[in-house]
Amino acid sequence: MHAGESAIEAHALGMRYRRGWALKDCSFRLPAGRICGLVGPNGAGKTTLLSIAARVLEPTQGTLSVFGAAPGSADSGRTAFLAQDKPLFRRFTVAETLRLGRELNPGWDQRTAEDVVRAGDVPLDARIGSLSGGLRSRVALALALGKRPDLLLLDEPMADLDPVARQEVMGTLLADTAERGTTLLMSTHVLAELENVCDYLVVLSGGEVRLAGDVEELLSVHTVVTGAKEGEDLPASLAQHSLVESRVSGRQFTALIRSEGPAAGRWETDSPNLEELLIAYLRSPGAAPLITPTAQARAYDTRTVAA
Amino acid sequence: MSSLTSTSTTTGARAAGTGRLPQLFKGMAWLVWRQHRAAFWTVLGASALAVAYIVFQRSQVYIGGYSTTSTGLRLVPILLGVFLGAPLFAGDLENGTARLVAAQSVSRTRWLTTKLALTSVVVVVSTVALSAAFGWWFDLYQSEVTAAEWIFEYNFNTTGPVPVALALLSVLGGAAIGLVLRRTLAAMAVTLAFTVAVQLVWSHLLLSLGNVLTLTTSKGVTAEYPAQVLPTGAYRTGGASYITGDGKLLGIGTCADAQTERATELCLRKADVVGWSIDYLPMSQMTGMQWFGASILLALTAAVTAFLFLWGGKRPV
Repeated sequence: MHAGESAIEAHALGMRYRRGWALKDCSFRLPAGRICGLVGPNGAGKTTLLSIAARVLEPTQGTLSVFGAAPGSADSGRTAFLAQDKPLFRRFTVAETLRLGRELNPGWDQRTAEDVVRAGDVPLDARIGSLSGGLRSRVALALALGKRPDLLLLDEPMADLDPVARQEVMGTLLADTAERGTTLLMSTHVLAELENVCDYLVVLSGGEVRLAGDVEELLSVHTVVTGAKEGEDLPASLAQHSLVESRVSGRQFTALIRSEGPAAGRWETDSPNLEELLIAYLRSPGAAPLITPTAQARAYDTRTVAA
Repeated sequence: MSSLTSTSTTTGARAAGTGRLPQLFKGMAWLVWRQHRAAFWTVLGASALAVAYIVFQRSQVYIGGYSTTSTGLRLVPILLGVFLGAPLFAGDLENGTARLVAAQSVSRTRWLTTKLALTSVVVVVSTVALSAAFGWWFDLYQSEVTAAEWIFEYNFNTTGPVPVALALLSVLGGAAIGLVLRRTLAAMAVTLAFTVAVQLVWSHLLLSLGNVLTLTTSKGVTAEYPAQVLPTGAYRTGGASYITGDGKLLGIGTCADAQTERATELCLRKADVVGWSIDYLPMSQMTGMQWFGASILLALTAAVTAFLFLWGGKRPV
C-alpha cells in the first residue's frame, strides 16, 4: 500500500555532541510500512538517530526527512516517539496522561490508547508514579499509539519489561501496526527481540551505518562457510568473496562472507541467521558497510536541499 | 468526536474531574495548568489570604503588622522567582518530560509561550492584588509625619506597578536560568542569587529614578530650619547647604568655629549667607518614579523573554 514511499530518508546525517560525533555521515532509507530493527552496541548513535527522526534533536549536519516532508518542518503529527526512559508526568493519573495525548494531538484516538492501557490491567485512576516500570511502559506506549502515527519510533521499548510483559506488549504493538500499516523503527540491543519481528534492519556502529536493508535480502547475500584450514590461514579461494568475519578453532574455520558468485569449494555452506549476521558485523568494524538498493537514500530532492 | 464520547463513558467522572476548568483550558494550556496547578493555586491562595489580612488590618485603622507585611511583600518576587520561575523549565528538562511534550504534535514555541504566559498571568494577578491592597493601606499613612518614608523600599517596592514588575523580572529570570542550567536545584540556587541581586541593584538605583528638586530660602539660616520649609513628605537626598547672595553654596560648617551666637551671626553676614539650599524629592514624584522604574524593569523582562525564546527554540530538549 505504501509501494515506493519513504518513511525516512537520511542524507549524510551527522550529530556532534561536546564529547564527539554520535553520528557520522549516515545515509539510508526506510521504506514505508516496514518493521525495522535499529541495532548497535551501546553508544552507537541509536538514540540520537531516533531523536533526530522525532524532531527532538536538530542534526549538526545533513538532513533527515520523514514521509518526504522538508527537514526541520514542524511535527505533522505523523510521527510518534517513545524515548528510552519513557518520560511521563509522575503526578498525573493514567487518565490524565491519556488526556495529555488528546489535548496535544489532533488525530488522537482515545479508544486505541485505552485499549492498550486496559490490556495491561492498568487502572485509569492510578498515579503514574505509583505504577511499576512495566505498566508505565505500557502507558507510554498507549500515548504513542493513540497518536495514530504513520511512523512509530521506539527506543529500547522492551528494556524494562519482564519476559511475559515483553511478549504481551510486543503482541499489542505488532497487531496495531500491522492493522494500520504503520512504519516501525525500533532500537534494541537484545538481538532475540528482532528475530521473527523485523523485516528490515539498520545496523549502527560507532555512529555509522554498517548494514541497512530488507532482512531477507541481507541474509541471502551472506553465507556462512565452515571447513578445514589451509595451513595457518583460510582457503585462498575464499578471497574472491568479501569476508566479513572469520573465526578459527582447531583445524576448522568458520567465516561469514558476502558471496560474490557461487561459493563452491571444499567446505560446507549455510545461510546465516539474523543473530549470526549481526554479531559478525558488530564484531568486525573493518568490514565494508552494506546498504541494499531499497535502503539507499535517493538522490537529493531540490526542495529538501533548499530547506 | 466519537473518541471524546468514549472517554466520558469509559473513564467517567474521573477523567472529567482531572481538569477543574475544562472549558477554560484546552490543549497546551490544559497541560501547563495541570502540571503546575499546585504551585499556581498556592500562589493565588497565599495572595488572597494576604489581601484579606491587609484589608482587615486597614479596616481596624490599625498600623500593627504594617512593616512585617511590607517585609513579607518585598520577599514575594524572590520567592516567586525561586519557587515558580526556576523550576518552570528546569523541572521538565531534568526529568525528561520536556521530551515527552516535544514528542506530541505541538511546536516548541507553543510550549514555551503557554508556560510563560500562564505563569505570568498568575504572577500578575497575585502581585496586582497585593500591590493594590497594600497601596490602600499605605494611603492611610502618607499624610503623616513619617511620610518621607514613601521613598523607602517598604513603601516604594510594595505599591503601584513596582512589585508587579519586580516579580515578573524575577520569575522570568528564574525561568531563563532554569532553561540554561537544566537542573532544578541549581536553578533555584542561582535564581535566589539573581533575585537578591536584582533587589540590591534596584535599591541602589531607586533615588536616581526621580528628578531631584532644590529648594532655596532667603530668610536667613537661623530663623527657620530645613525641615520646616520642605513640603510634607519631601525626602532630602543630601545634607542642606548655605546659599549666599550670589548663589554660591557653602557647607553648614562654615561658621561652626564661632563661639557665640553673635559671632556666628557676624560670620554668616560676612560670608553673605542668605538662606538654605536643600535638595529633595517631593512625594508627588512617587507615582512617576514607580512607573519609570517599573518600565525599566519590564524592558529588562522583555529582554529576558526574548532570550528565553532564542535559547529555548534551538536547544535540544
